[in-house]
Amino acid sequence: MIDFIQMIVSGIAVGSSYALMGLAMVIIYKTSEVPNFAQGEMALITSFFAMMMLTTFNMPVYIAFFLAFVFAVALGCFLEFAILRRAKEPNVLGMIVITIGIEMVLLGFVSWKFGADQKVMPFPIGPYDSFIIGDIFIGKLELLTLVTALLLMIILFLFFKYSKIGLAVKATQQNSVAAKIVGIRTNRILMMTWGISSLVGAVAGLLISPVMMHPYMMWDPMLKGFAAAVMGGMTSLPGAVVAAYMLGIIEHLFGGYISIEFKSVVAFVIIVAVLCIKPSGLFARHYVKKV
Amino acid sequence: MKKLILALFISLAFLLSFTPNIFAEEGVTDTEIHLGQWGPQTGPAAAWGNVARGTGGYFQWINENGGIHGRKIVYHMFDDGYNPAKTKAGVKELQEGTGIFAWACGVGTSPGLAVRDYLAEKNIPWVGPAAGSMHWITPPQKNLFAVYPLYIAEAKALVKYAIEKMGKKRIAIAYLNDEYGKNGLRGAISELKAHGMEAVAQVPMEAKDSDLKPHVMQLRKSKADMVLMWTTVGHSARIVGISKAMQFAPQFMSTSTTSDFPFMMHITKGLWEGVITGTFGELPDSGYPLLEKYKKEVFDKYAAKEERWGMFYYAGIIFTEPMIEGLKNCGRNLTRERFIAEMEKIKGFKGIGPEVSYKPFDKNDIYSRQGTSQTFLVQCMAEGKAKKLTDWMDIK
Amino acid sequence: MDMKRDYYEDVQLFTSKVISFWFILLIAFLYLFPLFVDNYYIYVANYIAINIIVVTGLNLLVGYTGQISLGHAGFFAIGAYGTVTLMAKAGFPFLLALPCSALIAAGFGFLLGLPALRLEGPYLAIATLGFGLTITQIIGRMEIFGGREGLHTPDITIFSYVIDTDKEFYFLLISLTIVLLFCMRNLIKTRVGRAFIAIRDADIAAQTTGVNILYYKTLAFAISAFYAGIAGGLYAFVLNFIEPEIFTLMMSIMFLAMVVVGGLGSIMGSITGAILLCWLDLKLRNILDIPYIGDWLETLSQSWFSITGVSNIQFIVFGSIMILIMLFEPLGLYGVWIRTKKYWRTWPF
Repeated sequence: MIDFIQMIVSGIAVGSSYALMGLAMVIIYKTSEVPNFAQGEMALITSFFAMMMLTTFNMPVYIAFFLAFVFAVALGCFLEFAILRRAKEPNVLGMIVITIGIEMVLLGFVSWKFGADQKVMPFPIGPYDSFIIGDIFIGKLELLTLVTALLLMIILFLFFKYSKIGLAVKATQQNSVAAKIVGIRTNRILMMTWGISSLVGAVAGLLISPVMMHPYMMWDPMLKGFAAAVMGGMTSLPGAVVAAYMLGIIEHLFGGYISIEFKSVVAFVIIVAVLCIKPSGLFARHYVKKV
Repeated sequence: MKKLILALFISLAFLLSFTPNIFAEEGVTDTEIHLGQWGPQTGPAAAWGNVARGTGGYFQWINENGGIHGRKIVYHMFDDGYNPAKTKAGVKELQEGTGIFAWACGVGTSPGLAVRDYLAEKNIPWVGPAAGSMHWITPPQKNLFAVYPLYIAEAKALVKYAIEKMGKKRIAIAYLNDEYGKNGLRGAISELKAHGMEAVAQVPMEAKDSDLKPHVMQLRKSKADMVLMWTTVGHSARIVGISKAMQFAPQFMSTSTTSDFPFMMHITKGLWEGVITGTFGELPDSGYPLLEKYKKEVFDKYAAKEERWGMFYYAGIIFTEPMIEGLKNCGRNLTRERFIAEMEKIKGFKGIGPEVSYKPFDKNDIYSRQGTSQTFLVQCMAEGKAKKLTDWMDIK
Repeated sequence: MDMKRDYYEDVQLFTSKVISFWFILLIAFLYLFPLFVDNYYIYVANYIAINIIVVTGLNLLVGYTGQISLGHAGFFAIGAYGTVTLMAKAGFPFLLALPCSALIAAGFGFLLGLPALRLEGPYLAIATLGFGLTITQIIGRMEIFGGREGLHTPDITIFSYVIDTDKEFYFLLISLTIVLLFCMRNLIKTRVGRAFIAIRDADIAAQTTGVNILYYKTLAFAISAFYAGIAGGLYAFVLNFIEPEIFTLMMSIMFLAMVVVGGLGSIMGSITGAILLCWLDLKLRNILDIPYIGDWLETLSQSWFSITGVSNIQFIVFGSIMILIMLFEPLGLYGVWIRTKKYWRTWPF
């Protein structure tokens, strides 16, 4: 019984990092309609940038993190402005290939600059400090990730639903020409969503980096985050988060009780099963196709 | 249809844009010996890239000190990204373009296996693959000399020590689900069976798994008092860390790829203390005279400034030392046949690694091409220092 | 662009004697070129030919039918493992094992096509991605496939003639490639091909005019899986050794990139895309050997970046080329070709 609760707790803990990545991908998909394969690497380069600030320049933690966030937003806006916008007549596949290209360039940069060894991130909370309640343990870092993920989800959800800019984002997604006619600056909106998404990704990256830090660390969280976003419906923010938690819990339960070998595979099988039943994801509004 | 033809034509024309090369030489001229190595400089396995760079530094040092009987070593290293297709392409390109005399080290079992048959066909010597797998010596091949101690043997040594010297009764094994990890698993299980015991848990994991809590939970459930880890550096670090957080404290043992204690202490922030590992060479700070010499003359002079002085770097030296010994013994008359004959005569050669001995080629005797069967065990102490638990032991 | 006056002109393979002449010249060139080139280039040609086959199959699915597949490495793996296992364990001859394993791959393609009927865009991408990952995991578990230790490939014997050099394998491979390309081209020109294009452009409308979506979508998946299976079977012999870890997600992504960079919906496009990206992949590791840029990169690495990671520049170059091609020509390399042709047609105005 204790094991069962421990698995649920750990599943929630690991689901939080997937949730953050999923949030980031949904934000971009909501406006640009492109699944952003470069999400992981954008978070990666920000985390390494933070590490560089902390180790080479010896800045205090909060200034380094603040600078890293600024860098993330700037990176997101820059990528949208310089690359995505320049694509003429983009079809979805072309955009996907562009994001894959961006991903390779960023990965190459990080590996080139920092080498491939494991690095250590001087983070205020150690990766293995934890609270023990009875026989269940939950890491302090994981608790922080959980709180951050939920907080970000609530803030973003309220932002997109009730603020004026959020309304503008929805308008741009539904019909960008009409949005331009009523005076919404769609270009700025796109830039802004990329910046926000990059910021969320950076938070995810920073929270993952104390545990391990090497250039390939974001592949697995990004894939799982993407899978979670798809399962929850690519246009629904709470959906991505709930799906991510479900994914984490199912993975852990499966790993604990049935087979630890197929743990990563079962996630995708579940997703395919869910998609067969609800093709647009669990929480999305039903996908309307134009004939 | 016209477009199809023309484009095919143009595309293939630029394949021909390379000037046809001179035929492959033997790789030896009056003043040069061409040696090659592949290594994962990019990709998920890039942390093992320093093996190839270590060999490069070593060869530079040899060249500065007169070369080998007046010949300088020309070192061809290329990046294969741990992708066997690229390894094969690179080996073929260098072998048939520039002409390589022999190949040194080479990280990775699957890249190595992709080129093993090709090199065997042409009888090109290959010394010291940087992986202790059984594939190099089952069956033994005339041109392939293995230096890395077998994983199976190392696992046996570790388990034997745990049972006999430390009296552990419940042994669990956490392994990477590939050839490397499975070899370790096999060695451990056979040693356990020899003592009439069984493993209380066998936990596999994938290289790309980032979340190891389920694995540690299974290990904890089995109430093991010794956990043998046969997985990557990052995974081992995380297993130790998560176990500490879960208040699960068995004796951890691991393989030689994690025996770089200063580095392990750095990435686990001190939690690696007390772990026992096997090793395939002298430790970074052991004060061994030849090792200190290499550090001063090879590493300080030739390594890049962000290179780390660790086991992987001088592994490139350990696995090449026998080759250089063989080349030296050939004198000026250097042919592949002579080189293989001289390699077979090596007995009891010791550099900074274990003792290396070969025998004349016998396809039923793996020790004719497996040069080492020794390892010794060390335990990690505070501040990354190492305590030698045993001396070089022979395991068969 | 070229005006066709009746159906038979459209379907015709060689529209004029000039084209037939150039074509015969091309075939002669392809067959004679290994005789005066180094063995290494033959290996490269083999590798590229295999990628051409896969990419053509993927193009049918992505370019002509408008679906997405991130799991083609899975079909590739099924083809490779199927061929080697049938030859080694069941004693099939090569000429029988290859089509059989490709048919098995096609069967899996059909299975994958079934969920695809309801999914689109990123949803389909994740489903296929999951499929690709699952297949490699399952193959890696089963001992009959050698598990994680991989399998060595047996020798190919065709009517008791043993093929064991790259050159001989090249002749076999290039013949197969040409035959498969012809089949694909003919397929596109028939009603099956038109049904695929109709599904891509407006599938609900296609359904109303009588195109059976269930049949054609799963057929598209099956055919592209068949091509990938054949290519996989041949790839096993190029490498002489297969292991589950070779068939990664990165491989599927590379196939997709080759299709898109080459140009969706064009066979010539997929050929050029495959050639370009494979050639870059194999050549970029020597980036430091380029005369002037190499030295400059080295000094740059020593001062600002790490020299240990310098080979990673190949990723940067690769990614940049992909981005640049997609930015400046969304139709890919085929689009570049169309533009040049238009320019020459209307020159000098």
